[in-house]
Amino acid sequence: MEETPLAMASVPVQKWGRRYDDAKALEQGTIFPDLDKPFFAAETLYFPGKCQEQTERDRLLTKIRQTGFVLDDLTLYLDTHQDDREAAQLYREKSREKEQLMGCFAEQFYPLTRSCAAECDKTGEGFCWLAGPMPWEGGCDHVVL
Amino acid sequence: MWYYEKRLQFPVKITKTCPKTAQLIISQYGGPDGELSASMRYLAQRYSMPVKAVGGLLTDIGTEELAHMEMICAMVYQLTKNLTPEQAKTAGFDAYYIDHTAGIWPQAASALPFSSVEFQSKGDALTDLTEDLAAEQKARTVYDNLLRVIEDPEVREPLKFLRTREIVHFQRFGEALEKVKEKLDSRNYYYFNPEFDKSMYGKTPASF
Repeated sequence: MEETPLAMASVPVQKWGRRYDDAKALEQGTIFPDLDKPFFAAETLYFPGKCQEQTERDRLLTKIRQTGFVLDDLTLYLDTHQDDREAAQLYREKSREKEQLMGCFAEQFYPLTRSCAAECDKTGEGFCWLAGPMPWEGGCDHVVL
Repeated sequence: MWYYEKRLQFPVKITKTCPKTAQLIISQYGGPDGELSASMRYLAQRYSMPVKAVGGLLTDIGTEELAHMEMICAMVYQLTKNLTPEQAKTAGFDAYYIDHTAGIWPQAASALPFSSVEFQSKGDALTDLTEDLAAEQKARTVYDNLLRVIEDPEVREPLKFLRTREIVHFQRFGEALEKVKEKLDSRNYYYFNPEFDKSMYGKTPASF
């Protein structure tokens, strides 16, 4: 084993391991329990979003957010672990899942991307890209996680 | 090329107006360790990165930072959107109000305007990645400090999420640094600039 060189920073490379489920991952800010390092002054049992009157739109948007976040975190993992087949396979699955959810959302409510806009413009009643609330207004009427 | 996805990465729904909290949080928009600064740093550094995967990582983290910037702006906006003239006089927010009313403008909590002076693109992969590691730690400290003083759970939840992202990004930049090191001679990582002296790859330091 080679000695660790002096005068150079070093961070151990993460190994693929346990994962949170999609909902828990978004709550915690990472899909990896190994990288979840909470701050003592931020320990609380409160979660915003455990709101009873969830509409179908909110539930679907929550699902999109969760799936989207798994993809966000996985992307960064894969950037530094290109040869990890298990992670790549999960990326493919989640990617398909998200695309399908986005299509459903556009068809039933409003488009989240310009390419989804085609899904909801079938009636020919004009362009729908501006439909739905702006995300900084709180996105959905009830915040859900 | 970028496309917009019309949703926040993590939900922000703040129901209580609080200009004081807005004035603190705005630092993560336009402050020295804020999300705008982070995004511009990584997106600037990526072009000349000698390892392709590292350029890719800088693009992806730089993009995620834009989404974090949007979350911070949404928080500042929601904390001030129903501001009364009386509340505008809140110590700390009053000066901001005079210059920007309830508009969103990138500045630090100390009122220092956003500036590219706050980050570097040094043209040396070892230097830039070491800066990126430090940048993630500095941002984490800001979130720690915010979480110590802010009590509203609707504000704390997104802040906790953002704090965890800093730690994940730190890990990835560390792995990126390992990738750059693999291309260099561990007996002297500083023999040449891996981003500039491209003809030097594979050459052994004379002293060995």
